[in-house]
Amino acid sequence: MPTSQVGRQFKEPGAKALPKLSTYIRGLDEILSGGLPQGRTTLLSGEPGSGKTVLGLEMLYRAALNGEPGILLSFEESPQELRQNAATMGFDLPGLEAEGKLFLLEGRIEHRSIVEGSFGLEPLMAIISGKAREMGAKRVMLDALDVLLALMEEPLRVRAELHFLADWLSNSGLTSLMTLKPRQAGAGRAFQDFFYSMSDCVLLLDARVLNQVTTRRLRVLKYRGSDFGRNEYPFVITSCGIRTIPITAFRLLHKPFGERLPSGVERLDGLLGGGFFRGSCVLLAGEPGTGKTLLASGFVEETCRRGERVLYVSFEESEEALVSNVSSAGIDLATPGKEGLLRFLTAMPESKGAEEHLMEVVELVEEFGPRHVVVDAISACQRMGGQQAAFDFLMRLLNFLKGQGITILLVNQTSGSKAQLEISGNGISSMIDTVVFFSYVHGDGETNRAIQVLKSRCSAHSNQLRECVITDQGIKVMEPYSGPGGVLTGTARKLQEAKDAQATRRMEAEIHLREMEVARLEALLEAEKARLKAQIEQAQWDLERLRAERERAHRETAERLSLREEGVRSGIHEAPGD
Amino acid sequence: MDGQSNARQDSVLRMRLFVAGNEPNSRMARDTLERICREHLQGRFELEVVDVLEDFKAALGENVLVAPTLVIYEPSSQMRVVGSLCDPSRLLKLLGIRGEEAGR
Repeated sequence: MPTSQVGRQFKEPGAKALPKLSTYIRGLDEILSGGLPQGRTTLLSGEPGSGKTVLGLEMLYRAALNGEPGILLSFEESPQELRQNAATMGFDLPGLEAEGKLFLLEGRIEHRSIVEGSFGLEPLMAIISGKAREMGAKRVMLDALDVLLALMEEPLRVRAELHFLADWLSNSGLTSLMTLKPRQAGAGRAFQDFFYSMSDCVLLLDARVLNQVTTRRLRVLKYRGSDFGRNEYPFVITSCGIRTIPITAFRLLHKPFGERLPSGVERLDGLLGGGFFRGSCVLLAGEPGTGKTLLASGFVEETCRRGERVLYVSFEESEEALVSNVSSAGIDLATPGKEGLLRFLTAMPESKGAEEHLMEVVELVEEFGPRHVVVDAISACQRMGGQQAAFDFLMRLLNFLKGQGITILLVNQTSGSKAQLEISGNGISSMIDTVVFFSYVHGDGETNRAIQVLKSRCSAHSNQLRECVITDQGIKVMEPYSGPGGVLTGTARKLQEAKDAQATRRMEAEIHLREMEVARLEALLEAEKARLKAQIEQAQWDLERLRAERERAHRETAERLSLREEGVRSGIHEAPGD
Repeated sequence: MDGQSNARQDSVLRMRLFVAGNEPNSRMARDTLERICREHLQGRFELEVVDVLEDFKAALGENVLVAPTLVIYEPSSQMRVVGSLCDPSRLLKLLGIRGEEAGR
């Protein structure tokens, strides 16, 4: 299917755009800034097995399907061989031939032919132009013309003939494709150079083996009058033809996040500030067995329950193993599978190159249309051919999925002490919006699982490390224990909680005791107060009494004295000495 | 030996020469072939000259992509000679015409 982003927008304003024809190969039009130069020659150069013929054939086939008839002249393979090879990719050449949209011409010179002197390619050109007129063809492919030219012994003759052919092609109005095997030296080298110079667009193809995995790459060597992607672009030959997704030609078209989606674990949603965002990329990283796959599966179950489609890409376990493993933790992936809401794509990472894996996922996403994709585990992607292959695969996959607004859950297995460094995973950290990190907490003779949200774009989130346990109803995140002993897990947590309870009880008792003490002292105080008050009262009373006594004594003395003085003064003496 | 050459002499050579208009290689091949027929194969040949520029379908039918191409149908099983036929003695050999006959 031709892509919608035909590269006309790359042109300078006012510049006359070179007319182009779509290659009808996904990704290739973007690399070629729109397609093949119309009415001109494009050369596909590559070693045997690099995919030249398949690429040319597919361009011709798809153009014919889209109503642009074409002619294929092969000097190496017979029409019957081409039909058979094409059928393995699902291309029905005889159908198009019957409709007059495609014409396959046998280009092999009969092997018993005897060469006696010089010859020219005029009949070939006459047949092509005659046939093109007849069927209204706009495209022609000359496959392995060098095989025919090798019959010409004199290099000068070859050059002259190629000049003639090039002139004829450029006057024919046909958009042509030629394939060529590169030659390092000898007579072949001369006409390779000529092929390069007569072609307006040259594509170099190669298949190289990296870490025991074959990777096909394509590069545009030149494109007269046009911009083009200048990198090497990996491509694959799949069961439905050639696919390429250039990294750099992909613009960043990521959709903004949607609403919050429940993670399937209630308390994790709390830590995340409400769940995962729709369309975001979530990394679940941690050591083996910490519960990453379970969390991903829980999310899948929850999401499918709401009727949304999920694609689960597993590089570690088979579908059966995965479904059965998570079912022991109470997660049911079998039901959404039966309902057609969940599809699995399982593959051994080393079974093919990164591009083929990528295409497989991309094709399934396009066919199945999931809203969410799980990749378990991205750490396994290194086995597709090393670090670079894993990066190529993930970067392009994430770009593609983000462009579609698909939520991505990546599972990444980290190991040991470097865990914190590895969590971002294969250098793709800029693509990741949320990181949930799983770890083991060791101590007191046991190991427990802990979960933490390390990153969450556009969102408030808790940094708290929480204990999580795997129950028969999935993962459970515990309420935080954040008492004076730090974050604790498992038995330690229970012990600490008991210890805490004990301490609390002791404290209570102590307080009670102290309260009683205070009360007692207060009572004592009151009692003492009362006693002292009584003493004071007694003393006071005594004092009053004494004072009164003293008063009376004074009075009596005074009276006696006054009586005595009165008697003296009146002369009445009582008989002295009475 | 004699029987074989007699058989050859009795049989008729049926040939088609595909040429590209007046292109020099084609002209040379045509001239050479016509001269040999005239000189050595009196009454024992059928030659059709096809100009591919006029009739591409004939070329297509015989799958002739280069010119000149000489296709010999009879008496032997089909044989093709590609090129300007610049060496008449080689052509005589290819057509199975004996040396003495050629010198006659």
